[in-house]
Formats: sequence, C-alpha cells, structure tokens
Amino acid sequence: MATDRLVLHGKVNVYANTMFDAANDAGGADEVVAVRNQMAQLRHLIYADMDLSLALNDASYTPVQRYDLAKAVFADCEVALRETLAVMAEQGDVSLLGQVYHAYEEVMADKLKLVVVDVTTVVPLDDKLRELIGKKAEAELGCNAMLNEGIDESILGGIIMSVNGMRIDASVLSQLNRARYVLKETDGGDSQ
Amino acid sequence: MKTRARKKALHAGACASALALCPSLAFASEEEAEGGISAILPDMLEFVPMLVAFIILWIILAKFGWPMFAGMLEKRENTIREALKQSEDAKIESERVLAEYKKQLADAKAEATKVVAEARETGEAVRQSIQDKAQAEAQDMIAKARTTIEAEKKAAMAELQASIADTSVDVAAKLIGNDLTEGEHRAIIERYVKEAGSFNGN
Repeated sequence: MATDRLVLHGKVNVYANTMFDAANDAGGADEVVAVRNQMAQLRHLIYADMDLSLALNDASYTPVQRYDLAKAVFADCEVALRETLAVMAEQGDVSLLGQVYHAYEEVMADKLKLVVVDVTTVVPLDDKLRELIGKKAEAELGCNAMLNEGIDESILGGIIMSVNGMRIDASVLSQLNRARYVLKETDGGDSQ
Repeated sequence: MKTRARKKALHAGACASALALCPSLAFASEEEAEGGISAILPDMLEFVPMLVAFIILWIILAKFGWPMFAGMLEKRENTIREALKQSEDAKIESERVLAEYKKQLADAKAEATKVVAEARETGEAVRQSIQDKAQAEAQDMIAKARTTIEAEKKAAMAELQASIADTSVDVAAKLIGNDLTEGEHRAIIERYVKEAGSFNGN
C-alpha cells in the first residue's frame, strides 16, 4: 500500500510539474494562474458531473478514445491543461485531478513564489480592498499573492478567502449561520 | 394375716369347748333337780358323739377349711390392694397425663398466639411493603411523567427557539441582502479582512 501511495504521489507530481512547465513556457505567470483557475473550475465540474467523470474513467473505452474524448470536452481550456487532462484520461487518472490541483499550487508557490487567493464577495473588489487582501495574504504566506476574484450573492456579504486548501470564511452567511446555531443551542436560561 | 386368722380360729374353738363343757354342768344340775330342765338339756349319749363329731369337724375345718378361707381372703385382699394400687397408679398417671396435656395445651395456645402474632407481623410487613412499593412506583411514575413533560417542554421550546432563530436569521439575511449598498458591503469586507484570523489558524 505504501508503494501504491508513493507511485500515486509520483504520478500526481509528474502531472502537476508537467502542466506547470507547459503553462509557464507558454505564457509565464499569467498562463500558470489561468491554468490553475481553469483547473479549479474543472475540478468542481468533473466532481459534479457523474456522467463525465464515469466516461473519462470508463475502462470499456480504449485509452485513445478516452484521450480523444478529453481533448474534445476540454477543447476551450488552456493548452497545457487540456493536454495534461487528455493524458490523465488516457491513463485513467482523471480521478487524481484534485490532488494534481493541490500539487500544482505547491509547485507554483515553490517555483514562482506565487499563490492564488480565491476571493469570493457579493460586490466586486476595489483597488483598496485588493491591496488590503493581497498584503494580508503575502504577509501570512510569505509569497506573492494573486487574487482570483469571484462574485457570489448567496454569501450575502463579507468575504471568503481560500488558498492552498486553507480558507477564511468571513461571509455574512456564515456569521448568520453561526448566530442561528447559537440561538438554537442556547437554552435561554431556562435550564435550571 | 395368717397368724391372726389362726388366732381367731383358736379363739372360736376355745369358745366352742367352753360351751361344750357347760352342758355337762347343766346336766348335773338337771339330774339333781329331776325337773323340767332336763327337757331342754341334751342327752349325753347323743351329745358326746355330736361333740366329738363337732370337734373332729372343727379340727378338720381348722386344719383345712380355715387356711383355704384365709388364703382366699388374703388373695382377695391382695387383689383388692393390687386393684387399689393400680387405681392409684392410674390416677397418678392420669393426673400426670392430664398435667402433660394441660402443659401441651398451654404450649399449643402459646404457639398459636405466637403464630398469630407472627402472622400479624408478617401481614403488617407485607402490607407496609406493598404500600411502600406502590408509593415508590407512584413516585417513579410521577418522576417519569415530569421528565417526559420536561423533555417535551424543552423540545417544544427548542423547536420554537429554532423557528424563531430561523425566522430571525432569514429576516436579517433579507435585510442585509436588500438594504446594503456596495459601499457598505465593501466597508464590511474591509472590516472582516482586518478582523479575520490567519489562513494557518482559521
């Protein structure tokens, strides 16, 4: 089992490094970040779409068929990401995409000293907020921080920041949920 | 007893001899008187054989009759004495048995009294036990009912509280979502970013 894990870890690192090198060669840091952002979206897409996930890992297809299928499905993606995903589908390793994503972020931080902070807010950030968030991330992580902004009105307000699997949820929604939990769990002083 | 009977027999024989001799004196007087007295006096020719026969009879009786008679009397006396003794023994035995019966009866009465007392105590204990058990069960049922009521009350309160919490939070969410301007949202973001914990510690 230990050997399997090592082999798996080796595969993940190969995919992540290959994708990083291809993206970096193609467009530098911007391309690296673009690949990373697209991979984050595809990761959720593949996990959410069971049919796509099963098709990309279907052993009844030949490796070449799975390769062609992945290239066709991810035709609009960055070249480095598309080619890597096609190889992963050919090898039956699409299920490793989540691990590859984290390994890719580690490679980015290691080789470019760059981290991407996913920021989710209700309203678009202004420059002041970008600077504030970037400085906070750089101060805490010791790397250059690039913000990947997203709008999600369901969080009601506040901000959610995540980087390399670490997450700060300072949204109004989570605060309200916390308040809801406290209100439900508090016995109102009637316990005596 | 034999000696006394023999003495009585000798005494009777002596009396009879005296009576036998007395007529001879009477006969002498009658002969001298040649009067009517001779009419009542026995003829010696008859008297002497009769006296001899009497003496012989007396001797025979004294020799054989009286011992037999005395033996019968003694036997009878012994029988009566034995019967009296047996009667006395029976009386003593009956008195002893009666005393024993009385003692047994007294013991039985005491035992019965004791049994009744014990039965009464046992009954009282059982009654008390049943009463205590009933009271304990009643207390237990009351406690369980109170617990159930308390739990249901708490559940109802919790449900009401949850409902109020949900409603309050939903209202707050709608107010925040609808009423905040972009500037207010940004101000909140700025405050949260400043107050938020670190990536490593959150």
